Amino acid sequence: MSLADVQITLVPTALIAHVTGEVDMSNAEEVGATVIGATPNEAQGVVLDLSRVEYLDSAGIYVIYGMRSSLQARGQSLILVIPAASPVHDSLRLAGAERPGEVADTVEEALRVLDGRPTTGS
Amino acid sequence: MRHTSPVAEAPAERQRRTTPGHGQVVLLPTEPLDPAAERDSSYRFSDPGLSELSLEALLTELLIRVQEALKVDTVAILLYEPDSNQLVARAATGIEEEVEQGVRLPLGKGFAGRIAADRVPIFIADVNHADVLNPILREKGIASLLGVPLIVEGQLIGVLHVGSLTPRTFDQDDVAVLQMAAARAAPAIERAQLFARLEHEHDVSMVLQRSLLPQRLADVVGVNVAARYLPAREEVGGDWYDVFELPRGRVGVVIGDVVGHGIVAAALMGRLRTALHSYAIEGHGPGRTLELVDRFVQSLNESAMATAAYAVFDTYTSALHYATAGHLPPLVISGADVRMLEVTPAPPLGAFPYGRCPEHELSLESGEMLLLYTDGLVERRGVALSAGIDVLAAAVNAAQTPEEACTLAVARLVPREGLRDDLAIVALQNAAVPSELHLTLSAEPKTLAHARRILRRWLNERGADEGVVAEMTIAVSEACANAIEHAYAPSPATFELHGQARDGEITFTIRDGGRWRPPRGHNRGRGLSIIVAAMDDVQIDRTAEGTEVVMRRRIAPK
Repeated sequence: MSLADVQITLVPTALIAHVTGEVDMSNAEEVGATVIGATPNEAQGVVLDLSRVEYLDSAGIYVIYGMRSSLQARGQSLILVIPAASPVHDSLRLAGAERPGEVADTVEEALRVLDGRPTTGS
Repeated sequence: MRHTSPVAEAPAERQRRTTPGHGQVVLLPTEPLDPAAERDSSYRFSDPGLSELSLEALLTELLIRVQEALKVDTVAILLYEPDSNQLVARAATGIEEEVEQGVRLPLGKGFAGRIAADRVPIFIADVNHADVLNPILREKGIASLLGVPLIVEGQLIGVLHVGSLTPRTFDQDDVAVLQMAAARAAPAIERAQLFARLEHEHDVSMVLQRSLLPQRLADVVGVNVAARYLPAREEVGGDWYDVFELPRGRVGVVIGDVVGHGIVAAALMGRLRTALHSYAIEGHGPGRTLELVDRFVQSLNESAMATAAYAVFDTYTSALHYATAGHLPPLVISGADVRMLEVTPAPPLGAFPYGRCPEHELSLESGEMLLLYTDGLVERRGVALSAGIDVLAAAVNAAQTPEEACTLAVARLVPREGLRDDLAIVALQNAAVPSELHLTLSAEPKTLAHARRILRRWLNERGADEGVVAEMTIAVSEACANAIEHAYAPSPATFELHGQARDGEITFTIRDGGRWRPPRGHNRGRGLSIIVAAMDDVQIDRTAEGTEVVMRRRIAPK
């Protein structure tokens, strides 16, 4: 059984990546590279749905920061979906990194944040 | 034209002659054999021992007997292959190349082709001047040929032909002897062919069945598993079992029985096994998973049906959820006590539209075993099913491990003479959690997930609540990740993880043979931050021999 899975959906303004399973040093970089690699230039940003991630450690947090930097360099935003009662929320709290980027409770809310934002670079 | 048969010199009323192909003569003997020759030939070809032989042995034996009876240099048997409408060389003496080269001849042309198509004996006096397709016959220097068709109840089986390296006139007696050989051999060949085909199908379905069952059972933290599959005496069936890992520390165990036998049942079994595993991974519980497999079977538009029992065991909480579809009730072995689990009657998969498979739940305590089995194990002619299940329960009540349970069940219930139906049995045990953890783990990233499964189970058993389990698991996993990063690549290295609980306090020790590295980059320090935040006390001891991290946290009693 693979430790994690990434399911990618494209909407007109964004790429939505739903991550499930466990993310640790064995797969964090692959997960990040998969999402970045799939993001089209036209997308305003990426919605990284971590609401169904069961485990995330420092390697995963590190990759989230890395993703944010890569996207910023392309003029794209990263919005994280992390509900208050979720394993990822607890990991971030323990690591003292409550907000490693813009955070929303749901994918819908994340898309609204992205849509209400003026397109960068044009 | 000199190549017509000298037999032609015999009175015209004794035989009809036609020339189906250039240089070929059709011979139809009307005169009975000389009685002495008849007795002799009859003995040669009606030996009842012939019918006992396998196809290969029978053909070989036939070659020898025909060669002796007719004193010929070559004998060949070509068998008819209906699918290709061709004759295929299957056995030969004197012209073994025919078989080695896999000679195939079309019906209706050449020497053997005409014999098969017209179902008549044909004699060729001079091969060099006759219509012969197979070049091997000429290359071998065969001068004369005589061949007859092999026919059983009007069905063409093949062709039997003999050859002489010196020009030879095959007379009416020769034709009669060869025809007698053909008449006696043909049914035996047909029987042997049929048997060989059935045997082949049996072998194929056996291989199929084996390849569709798990090659090895999933190695899941927290459970011990064992399984057996035994084919029936006569043919394979559609029994299957499977054990697979599911997300969040759960493990699925299933057993099923496809109605029917042979390749078709084995193939359907493979599809059902895959379908069930797929639905299970999607996160459906046992009841819903079985219902989805039922819909899948319904959608096949085949009169397919199967029974199944499926259970999901949570290695963190010891909860066992199960459901059945027309299947025998699972057993739970608890020490010396064996109990039959309650099941809600549900139709077999594929039997009725919208079949429902209600789910049941129980706690499978540490050391207890779940036993799933198919009816092949407990069904015996003239014995009530419940009596068979009682025998099974009595057989396994002393089993300490799944392996033992399977061994005892098979030893006690499989009759000496073999099985009428195939059987499968699978046992899953909630492995006892040790009071102290002593793990030696390989220093590679994939170890982490494995270690976390062990940790969650161990912490649950120590009485830590869900949130505390999650926090300590991430802390220990971070410390393990550090140990892995310290390992001197690329040689295989290990590190140690110890855990103990004393007076309401949990202590973990993670020891490796490498040097503690200062965090690299501003985000790499987060691992240590997590450890410190999740535990009450953390000590890191770095020496030349390695690094030891000792961390403690008090847990509130549940």
